[in-house]
Amino acid sequence: MKRLSRPGEGEILLLTASRLLDGRIVWLGEGDHWHESITGAIRFTYEDAGPALERALAEAGQKEVVSVYEVVARDTQPPEPVTTREAIRAHGPSVHPDFSYDHAPVREKESAL
Amino acid sequence: MTQPASRSVGHYQYEERDRVFLQERINEFEGQVRRRLSGELGEEEFKPLRLMNGVYLQLHAYMLRVAIPYGVLDSRQLHKLADIAAKYDRNYGHFTTRQNIQFNWIALKDVPTILRELAEVDMHAIQTSGNCIRNVTSDEFAGAAKDELMDPRIHAEIVRQWSTLHPEFTFLPRKFKIAISGSPEDRVAARFHDIGLLARPGENGPLFRLFVGGGLGRTPVVGRELFDSVKEEDLIATLEAVLRVYNAFGRRDNLYKARIKILVQTIGLEAFRTAVEEELGRMDCAAYRLTPEHVAQIRARFALPDLKAPADAADVLEQHKKADPAFARWVASNTHPHQDEGHVCAVISLKTPGDIPGDVTVEQMHGLADLSERLSFGEVRVTHLQNLVFGHVRKDQLHELWQGLKALGLAAPNVGLISDIVSCPGLDYCNLANARSLPLAQKLGARFGDAALQAEIGTLSIHMSGCINACGHHHVGNIGLLGVDKRGAETYQILLGGDAGEQAAIGGILGPSFAEDEAVDAVARIVEFYLGQRQKGETFSAMLKRCGLKAFKEVAYETV
Repeated sequence: MKRLSRPGEGEILLLTASRLLDGRIVWLGEGDHWHESITGAIRFTYEDAGPALERALAEAGQKEVVSVYEVVARDTQPPEPVTTREAIRAHGPSVHPDFSYDHAPVREKESAL
Repeated sequence: MTQPASRSVGHYQYEERDRVFLQERINEFEGQVRRRLSGELGEEEFKPLRLMNGVYLQLHAYMLRVAIPYGVLDSRQLHKLADIAAKYDRNYGHFTTRQNIQFNWIALKDVPTILRELAEVDMHAIQTSGNCIRNVTSDEFAGAAKDELMDPRIHAEIVRQWSTLHPEFTFLPRKFKIAISGSPEDRVAARFHDIGLLARPGENGPLFRLFVGGGLGRTPVVGRELFDSVKEEDLIATLEAVLRVYNAFGRRDNLYKARIKILVQTIGLEAFRTAVEEELGRMDCAAYRLTPEHVAQIRARFALPDLKAPADAADVLEQHKKADPAFARWVASNTHPHQDEGHVCAVISLKTPGDIPGDVTVEQMHGLADLSERLSFGEVRVTHLQNLVFGHVRKDQLHELWQGLKALGLAAPNVGLISDIVSCPGLDYCNLANARSLPLAQKLGARFGDAALQAEIGTLSIHMSGCINACGHHHVGNIGLLGVDKRGAETYQILLGGDAGEQAAIGGILGPSFAEDEAVDAVARIVEFYLGQRQKGETFSAMLKRCGLKAFKEVAYETV
């Protein structure tokens, strides 16, 4: 297993994936459910994240997600990914914030479920 | 439901067997998607299958890349692409540097249905990804340009048919890109393809100059001439032999050394040529012979435009130009001479300064399709520089086209000018990118958006990529920008002196990378230096050669 990213001062780890059905970004939340919003993501310490990631990878097929990995985020409310890449995944393309899932028309939200 | 093909000009007209093949292929992929969603197929098994059907998993969703063979669409196809963008995407499509279109917000479960909708208009997404022969690209002015020696589309179609689902070349060491032009001016970047073909007429039929081993990406290489004059009858046999040598000896142990350019560099051009000739000697070349009858059969499935223009068409155009300076400026930058005196090729810029290069909305797609039906035989071409072309516009109707484009917000008079920026989607969409490219393209477009300033600067290209894979072809821009990740921060390297044409050259790296806004200012200083120091009629590349990279470097970094 690859080495986890190590969070710095005031940072935590989140687990993220893409939903198999539609590729939508999801975040591991309470009860091992994958949530659409980063606000529902569980915050892991470096020590806790490893076993959680292993479990999430093992259950990825059953939970219908792909490409599971950890993301370093600032421990804020809601957590904010540290890198630009993960911020763009969490909030949508910077050139089209209106394209983000949060801003998508209702019919698109429904079709993605 | 399969609809009968219209007799639109520009591309090969499908036969019934082509449509049957597409349906069979969709049925196959539909089964693969079903098995993936049921868990019967794992992601590792499914990934190569989806890629062969143009489906990527990107940052926000699945991305579907639809093939536009040699960049030619008809109006019903463009209407269909608009419908797909409206129904399954976010009302946008993005034209790429491979003359394809991408949809960025596709759900996997919808892909088989989308493919069926595409098949209704004889379109597909086959071989737009994966380690196979990709969409064959060609000259955007094919069959229309005044300077053309030979229409390359017929042979582009023959190569497309040969390469589609070729049983030997479905699992190559790496992807393989072929471009073909029939003009003395290389408008397809032939020397930057795995194989580049420059066609010309010969005494006894067409001849093809064949370049091999060119490419951009991590290791940019200018392709080298393998053969000067491949005869038409030997074209497919020669391509087959080149691909066989590559398939046999190309590296499969290292992703970054797997392209044919590395093989040619490693063993040398002479050894590679010998290997190809030996392969040709072993092959049953008669089985691959391209006969005049076969070529004629393919040619017959291309409809030709009925080019009739009023005798005073050119005079009418001149009157319109005199009456409207803005139109005259657009004509100066956005048209290309046509073989027929009464017609002209019109380039539609998808680079309105400040907008995203290559993006079109649903409304624009429908509007363009309608305009093409009225004014260019229902034909639309996609360029590898992310613009569109109406190939055959009557000169007396050009003003009407321009007014229609203005209404669609697509009348930017900047083709070949500094705001005609080529850019990949970058980190805003792409899983591989290190940095965003689109915001920088927007800022540069806005900075140089003034029409008078652009006219003063003249021909100057900016190409931009968000990572070393170089989908934005940054190595061949006069000014190239490459997004790099520097300890988590997006920064941009500047390259100068690239050229994709006859004087093929790879841009030289100026120095350490800049932060985004610093990069915009540095480019502005470079352009200002060019304006101040150039000699009469001197191009950017010529001045760079005269003054040297160091002089530009001093200017670019002077306040950093």
